[in-house]
Amino acid sequence: MAGLELLSDQGYRVDGRKAGELRKIRARMGVFAQADGSAYIEQGNTKALAVVYGPHEIRGSRSKMLHDRSVVNCQYSMATFSTGERKRRPHGDRKSSEMTLHLKQTFEAAILTQLYPRSQIDIYVQILQADGGNYCTCVNAATLAVIDAGIPMRDYVCASSAGFIEDTPLADLSYVEEAAGGPQLALALLPKSDQIALLEMNSRLHEDHLERVMDAASKACKDVYAVLDQVVREHLQELTTLLGDRTAA
Amino acid sequence: MLKSKTFMKKTRSGGILKIVREHYLRDDITCGCKGCDECQQERAILELEPILESSLCTTAHYLLPDTNVLLHQIDILEDPILKNVILLQTVLQEVRSRSAPVYKRIKDLLHNPDKCFYAFTNEHHRETYLEQEQGENANDRNDRAIRTATKWYNKHLKKSPKMADVQVILITNDRRNKEKAVEEGIVAYTCEEYIKSLTANPELVDRLACVNDEKNEVESGRLIFAEHLPLSKLQQGIKSGAYLQGTFRASRDNYLEATVWVHGDSAENKEIIVQGLRNLNRAMHEDIVAVQLLDKENWVTMSSVVLQDEGDSDDIESVEEKEKMLKTAVNSVKKPSGQVVGIIKRNWRPYCGMLSKSQIKESTRHLFTPAERRIPRIRIETRQASTLEGQRIIVAVDGWPRNSRYPNGHFVKSLGTAGDKETETEVLLLEHDVPHQPFSQAVLSFLPKMPWTITPEDMKNRIDLRHLYVCSVDPPGCTDIDDALHCRELENGTLEVGVHIADVSHFIRPGNALDQESSNRGTTVYLCDKRIDMVPELLSSNLCSLRSNVDRLAFSCIWEVDENANILNTKFTKSVINSKASLTYAEAQMRIDSPNMNDEITQSLRLLNKLAKILKKRRIDNGALTLSSPEVRFHMDSETHDPIDLQTKELKETNSMVEEFMLLANISVAQKIYDEFSEYALLRKHPSPPPANYDILVKAAKSKNLDIKTDSAKALADSLDKAESPGFPYMNTLLRILATRCMMQAVYFCSGMDNDFHHYGLASPIYTHFTSPIRRYADIIVHRLLAVAVGADSTYPDLTDKHKIADICKNINFRHKMAQYSQRASVAFHTQLFFKNRGIVNEEGFILFVRKNAIVVLIPKFGLEGTVFFEEKDKKKTNLVFNDEVPFLKVENTTFHMFDKVKVKISLDASNIQHQKIRMALVEPEIPGVTSHEDIATNTNGEPVPKKSKS
Amino acid sequence: MAVEVRLPAAQKRVSEELGTGSGLHLVTPGDTITTDTGFMRGHGTYTEDDKLVASVAGVVERVNKLICVRALKARYNGEVGDIVVGRITEVQQKRWKVDTNSRLDSVLILSAVNLPGGELRRRSAKDELAMRDYLQEGDLISAEVQAVYSDGALSLHTRSLKYGKLGQGVLVRVSPSLIKRRKTHFHNLPCGASIILANNGFIWLCATPKEMEEEAGGFITNLEPVALSDREVISRLRNCILALASQKMLLYDTSVLYCYEASLAHQIKELLKVEVIEDIVMETRQRLLEQEG
Repeated sequence: MAGLELLSDQGYRVDGRKAGELRKIRARMGVFAQADGSAYIEQGNTKALAVVYGPHEIRGSRSKMLHDRSVVNCQYSMATFSTGERKRRPHGDRKSSEMTLHLKQTFEAAILTQLYPRSQIDIYVQILQADGGNYCTCVNAATLAVIDAGIPMRDYVCASSAGFIEDTPLADLSYVEEAAGGPQLALALLPKSDQIALLEMNSRLHEDHLERVMDAASKACKDVYAVLDQVVREHLQELTTLLGDRTAA
Repeated sequence: MLKSKTFMKKTRSGGILKIVREHYLRDDITCGCKGCDECQQERAILELEPILESSLCTTAHYLLPDTNVLLHQIDILEDPILKNVILLQTVLQEVRSRSAPVYKRIKDLLHNPDKCFYAFTNEHHRETYLEQEQGENANDRNDRAIRTATKWYNKHLKKSPKMADVQVILITNDRRNKEKAVEEGIVAYTCEEYIKSLTANPELVDRLACVNDEKNEVESGRLIFAEHLPLSKLQQGIKSGAYLQGTFRASRDNYLEATVWVHGDSAENKEIIVQGLRNLNRAMHEDIVAVQLLDKENWVTMSSVVLQDEGDSDDIESVEEKEKMLKTAVNSVKKPSGQVVGIIKRNWRPYCGMLSKSQIKESTRHLFTPAERRIPRIRIETRQASTLEGQRIIVAVDGWPRNSRYPNGHFVKSLGTAGDKETETEVLLLEHDVPHQPFSQAVLSFLPKMPWTITPEDMKNRIDLRHLYVCSVDPPGCTDIDDALHCRELENGTLEVGVHIADVSHFIRPGNALDQESSNRGTTVYLCDKRIDMVPELLSSNLCSLRSNVDRLAFSCIWEVDENANILNTKFTKSVINSKASLTYAEAQMRIDSPNMNDEITQSLRLLNKLAKILKKRRIDNGALTLSSPEVRFHMDSETHDPIDLQTKELKETNSMVEEFMLLANISVAQKIYDEFSEYALLRKHPSPPPANYDILVKAAKSKNLDIKTDSAKALADSLDKAESPGFPYMNTLLRILATRCMMQAVYFCSGMDNDFHHYGLASPIYTHFTSPIRRYADIIVHRLLAVAVGADSTYPDLTDKHKIADICKNINFRHKMAQYSQRASVAFHTQLFFKNRGIVNEEGFILFVRKNAIVVLIPKFGLEGTVFFEEKDKKKTNLVFNDEVPFLKVENTTFHMFDKVKVKISLDASNIQHQKIRMALVEPEIPGVTSHEDIATNTNGEPVPKKSKS
Repeated sequence: MAVEVRLPAAQKRVSEELGTGSGLHLVTPGDTITTDTGFMRGHGTYTEDDKLVASVAGVVERVNKLICVRALKARYNGEVGDIVVGRITEVQQKRWKVDTNSRLDSVLILSAVNLPGGELRRRSAKDELAMRDYLQEGDLISAEVQAVYSDGALSLHTRSLKYGKLGQGVLVRVSPSLIKRRKTHFHNLPCGASIILANNGFIWLCATPKEMEEEAGGFITNLEPVALSDREVISRLRNCILALASQKMLLYDTSVLYCYEASLAHQIKELLKVEVIEDIVMETRQRLLEQEG
């Protein structure tokens, strides 16, 4: 009969979060040995894997080569088992191509590409389970993978979605909330400098509300940053302890 | 903060789908008690010392009701005595999915600070969340969750010294749940037990809903109705096409008949007739039902019989007899008929009406007769029957068991003595869902502070038109003047015409309480002796009213026209005006007509009048219709406010002059906002009626040898103009009245949601309402749109959301319709008052419609319409022959055609105080045994009801 | 046949075992290292509004006024004199392109190789045509870094009999940061295999050649079958190297050898099991510490 109540009067969302709260984030870096950098992240039930190769010589057609900076090559894909209904093709459909483009734009803005002229950086991300905020989770996973690969970046790129339901901005939408069809905004932010790497909105939202939703999204991005930074530091700590005897060398 | 998460699986039909959702459990959810030391809460709701005297539970306690208690006993919970109630999220969610209206009411309760209702989010609380166990169904789990939460509360409160002796009591009507609760050491009562134990408030008991245990039902009495199919089966049936889903509309005139308007677009079987008590199967007006079509041989046609439920007991035989009568009626075309197999959604609301006291003196069970005739009588239980008798009361329906002839309900509240003007007004407002409470403080707080002056801030984006000779023309006694006019000659020889509309949107800012309230009210409702304002009086009668000789803010629409009324230029602007005169139609007419008045205002009026005539002619040439409906005004006694005389409205030239310019403004504005906002413009359309609607009109005209063409609006208008009957000047008016009845309802809509914009009656391709923002909310929205379009104001979110606009349209369409109905009801009530004072009168009238056993007569003098029955109780049967084709009704030897002139005796039938009505009896032409000369008002038996018809 | 199946389990956080607190200055991208303008900007940093900001996650290193951030894992950053192992990716005019795990492919110019037979002369057009006969795509070579170009690409040479085409053996790839810089990176281990611990993280394992008969400049591959014993030694070494790498142990002849010796208690295939890896690496670590102390 009546649809889901996405935000109760008491201020709780369907899954029990409050409006500005993120889902639980768990992440791990360096999950693959053969790639230059890799990371796995879970944001609630959305799970993504990212691997980074490069920078390396441009393979394939040389026409892509840029003489002043590195080419960032991305590919977004969704595992066939990631959604409720089995997907036909994991990548190459319109939605994936769009995501690929968004990722490319995001990381071109964040990676210091001018340090590696004539080279190429590959970022491959795959959604293993989709439960809302796919793009954002991919960005976060890719950030960790890029850091793991030791590729210089201006800053972390942290992404979070935000929606607007019942006059309240909600951070980090889950699939149920996305499916409700309200306005939805995806923000990729360089949290230290507050610069926007990418901003996407998928439906109409009145400009009066935009600021509030943006605030909620950037707050969420900074919360994501805090978690990611923690993960990176732990990872660093672990590695340096192992390599401890060599730091002077 | 986020503690842990669990997963929930769900399956959906058509392949198993595992859905994994997160469910966060928290430990920061507060208990909501004021005395709690544990929870750090900003706003505790439950009082420290809940006081409610109960003989069952003497200590202080909070109540914790379960879902069914909430669903059925919401009336009790709404009573101000019941306070400090804990509502669990589990319970709220169940209520939400089961009954939207109850959920809405609970939400209101939660928002009411006096009631101290607290919603506890137990499903997300770490200690009260439960997982569904193997072999446990959802209901059992929820019951367990409710018990767990109650236990948690009791444990939790013990921890705080201040609260240690406060108990939480579970209120449940489910026997098993209660037993289990008691086993687990929870204090639990049924709702009835608890309410009865409230020693200080015995009157609450009456308001208990009577929900019998299912078992009792089966035992007692035989079953009258077929069982309703479960929802799952209905949905299957609807999908497969075996059943049809539609809105159930009970017939106003015949309690054994109803139609079901099938949802969806398919042209066939749009309307299904349901006839007979068993086929109706407990469906009530406005319910969403599933119907099964009957075999073609069992199809019936709508009988034109008027039938009212008189029965007192559960005797089915008399009903069956009546049903037979319907069947044997002369049938011309059989229409699709069906039977109700299940109810998809009940649309019960509290009903106004009166108690029909049981004949047994000591009985506590009584029948309640709703004022709305489409609603069946409701059986209620009350001990205050003798006090309630003769009062208007409100009753809510609780259910309709299979073995009961009538639905069961319970008493909600009393409105006052029937027949009182206040009570009756209250009833008709309630019945038509007209919000009429005084404006709340929150709403009033958004009014401008007095004394109000125009500030330079107000003058931004506004031009000063105070030098113009603007005047307003309105009916006498009008205090909410929302339009004013001016006209002047420009230097280049053209004319400048201005329509100035009160700038209400300047005062009502989007989104605030004042805006929400006016949006909800939708329209000002004019009753005969009362006006229910849409906006507070300060605005409607003062700041927004364009009174003379004061500076007022306006929204102006200014045209430059040539002397042939061709528009050369249109301009919209916010402005400041200073009206030079507030005239009545009569005064304005007098100024135009008197040759020795030559001031600016009069000259302006004459110019306007000249232009208006051209405009009107052009409009009529385009096919606009001039229709008429008998409108009456009451002359009120200045002291008692009782009507002492009534007169039909008289139209002057100036009425039409004002009207012309308003139409012009509306059309210009409609075009402008549509150009600017093709998706969000709020417009008004008037669909052309389906040709079949005109059948009755064409037939009736033909019987008088007149030809009415209905192919187009223009043809209709022309043929109506030509339809004159020599020696019968009122004929044309009658035809126009009839034509009006054939029309469709004009409605507001959002341009982005529709593509047919045509306004049939005005023959305009586009139309909206702009000119009465004080009394219509649609105009306020249009003002806002226009203000954005001309850059005088900024847009806001809901204005550019076509779904929001569509929602507004839906509401104002509903309010508008309800306002019309309540106006009519008010007129009817005052007509009754008038005749009560006048006694019995003989008047001439015309037959408007011919029915199977009656004729509908219109009395032009009073604008009054009434039904003359030819069959009455305790009278000898008359020989009736009805022909639907011509149509005519032959009574004995006299034939009645439509538009025939008759003379009737008018009196007030006060025998049924609930439905006092004007009674008409035939005086001329005389038919032996039918026309009456004795005083009918002495007939004590109530309304005339046909007993039996002869075929 | 019995099959042992293992599911990947969450690794234990090693830091918890070994204890933390090396007192290093760790930074992550975006962290401000210093606002003092007196410092010079090194690798892994950039300046913004007079602030020195880290661009990679790693350890801050200061050399006088120069501040760098060393990422713990990065592609190979070649220096002149480094020994590298690489794979030919392309044959171009007068040069080969070699993948050496650095950011751009390295270049091996035709004039920087010894011609077969050790002839010393100008390279003619004929030589250019014969380039593919010497080295073709997919071949592995060992070489030394001759120069670093401005864009970071490396120029290699194989003008020594040590260098040249690699024949039968096993390539193991590890992170370049795990290779300990030594005087020599070519070792003939006593266990009967040769190892090239190239600076770019590519490690070459092969059977120790019987005699130094190759005077052909390293372009001819010996295609004789390798003895089973040699293959077993090589496999064991490979697994040992991977074990050490997984525990981030530095790789050099001694550590590899100790690990090899520690592994002898286990079957070769068991060396892939996590608990065995931990076991033998721990033993190796102990032995190295004893030796140092």
